[in-house]
Amino acid sequence: MQFGIFTVGDVTEDPTTGTTPTEHERIKNTVAIAKKAEEVGLDVFATGQHHNPPFVPSAPTTTLAYIAAQTSRLILSTSTTLITTTDPVRIAEDYATLQHLSDGRMDLMMGRGNMGPVYPWFGKDIREGIPLAIENYALLRRLWREENVDWQGRFRTPLQGFTSTPRPLDGVPPFVWHGSIRSPEIAEQAAYYGDGFFGNHIFWPASHTEQMVGLYRERFEHYGHGAADQAIVGLGGQVYLARNSQDAVREFRPYFDNAPVYGHGPSLEEFMSQTPLTVGTPAQVVERTLGFREYVGDYQRQLFLVDHAGLPLATVLKQLDMLGEVVAELRPAFEALRPSHVPSDPPTHATQLANQTASQSSAAETTGGQQ
Amino acid sequence: MTRSIVVVTAGLSEQSSTSMLADRLATESVAALAKRDVEATAEIIELRPLAHDLTNNLLTGFAAGPLVAALRSVREADGVIAVTPVFSASYSGLFKTFFDVLEVGALDGKPVLMAATAGTSRHSLMLEHTMRPLFSYLRAVIVPTAVLAASEDWGSAGGVSGELSTRIARAAGQLGDLVAGLPNQQVKRDRFADVPDFETLLNA
Repeated sequence: MQFGIFTVGDVTEDPTTGTTPTEHERIKNTVAIAKKAEEVGLDVFATGQHHNPPFVPSAPTTTLAYIAAQTSRLILSTSTTLITTTDPVRIAEDYATLQHLSDGRMDLMMGRGNMGPVYPWFGKDIREGIPLAIENYALLRRLWREENVDWQGRFRTPLQGFTSTPRPLDGVPPFVWHGSIRSPEIAEQAAYYGDGFFGNHIFWPASHTEQMVGLYRERFEHYGHGAADQAIVGLGGQVYLARNSQDAVREFRPYFDNAPVYGHGPSLEEFMSQTPLTVGTPAQVVERTLGFREYVGDYQRQLFLVDHAGLPLATVLKQLDMLGEVVAELRPAFEALRPSHVPSDPPTHATQLANQTASQSSAAETTGGQQ
Repeated sequence: MTRSIVVVTAGLSEQSSTSMLADRLATESVAALAKRDVEATAEIIELRPLAHDLTNNLLTGFAAGPLVAALRSVREADGVIAVTPVFSASYSGLFKTFFDVLEVGALDGKPVLMAATAGTSRHSLMLEHTMRPLFSYLRAVIVPTAVLAASEDWGSAGGVSGELSTRIARAAGQLGDLVAGLPNQQVKRDRFADVPDFETLLNA
């Protein structure tokens, strides 16, 4: 099972000090956080994509490639890549380049983005969100799988004999996840292609996630990719850790109360009971996280949000030290509960390459037998 | 089958005139359905205890606590009675918040009786100019008679003046007609059951 962190990349005032990092500091801090994630034994770092303040990650592959150059094991990913407003040709090129530079240590997660004004800035219309996600992704898949693409659709200039370069590393397209909070069409899309489905999970009641993952698993089986419990599922999580739970609550409360997304609403205690947020000791986070599988089934990737709402870098790095301990306990605990026919890990470049080689050699044998 | 009438009332004090009006409308509507040989139950949802959950829903985007059951009751009701005090020439903000967080389509084709309370009958047309467009937008089937109870309607001994009684009875009768005439099998919406097959999405 893979564990990691995902960031929104918000530039937010620290409510306890009134200090706001500059964009330069926030970008450099993001790199430091990713490197720390590898150091404490995490597997994945994922960044969001945003095109409006107060967010900095408008060019995810630049940041991810820079991190890839300074890490050796970490898988670089996104949370999410805007498949609606980003030209699929640019996604194909940018992420294939990242795949080469990182020697295959990457995958990506498609998302629609929910900020209305962003769509017209890129010549799109938010009311077409689902059709954009469906058409653009269908094109992206072809660009990675076919050398010469003739294509015509509703949302982009037609292509005649177009070759996306560079070609994917070893001819293996990057593994793709689809993330959605509330749109069953996206779970259906992920299931259709046999791609991964990522339940954002955080900031929402568990029942939302349970319903979406349930639909994805059922449809994954329907489309013949395997049994429902073998579908590739990732989940978000949100934690704040301290050695004792009172300290965790006391330290996190000012950040919680003023957080951009949910601040000034429910109390920390209410939000902890209503959503996956866990503020407490490493043991409490281990117990809560192990409970997720009870409503989504055994899954393959767990990402935590640890760096939002104005938490300063020093605090985030300390959080990661403790998160490393949590993950060291979670790994064997999840595997002990997992049935043997359910994969532990999502597909990686190495496993996809091995599958491709195996299917090519069996195809060659078949052809050989016929001659 | 037993019909369910759900009353949403936005009175702010205990035993507010808004709650009293809501109770009267509920009782009369159940009685009106009984006259039409239809068994009905009335559930009263006071919004005051849900005020924090409603604000939280605006900020977080999801319902929590007892608000979840309240929204479900309205969604599954056969008929709704909506009662608000008049605040600044309109329904109250608390009242509007409830209908803001109610999921899209929840009132589609549902009979709704509108009522309001005010300090003076000069507010009567609020129901027609402000509240009726709200429920038209929500695609409810609105009862023709809307009921406004002003201070002077409550009479001397806490009773209801003859004129208000007549309006309540007329509105309840009209709601009764609409609810009694509903088909037996109501279609319950489920967006997870209605997801189009991916080939359909792809070829749209």
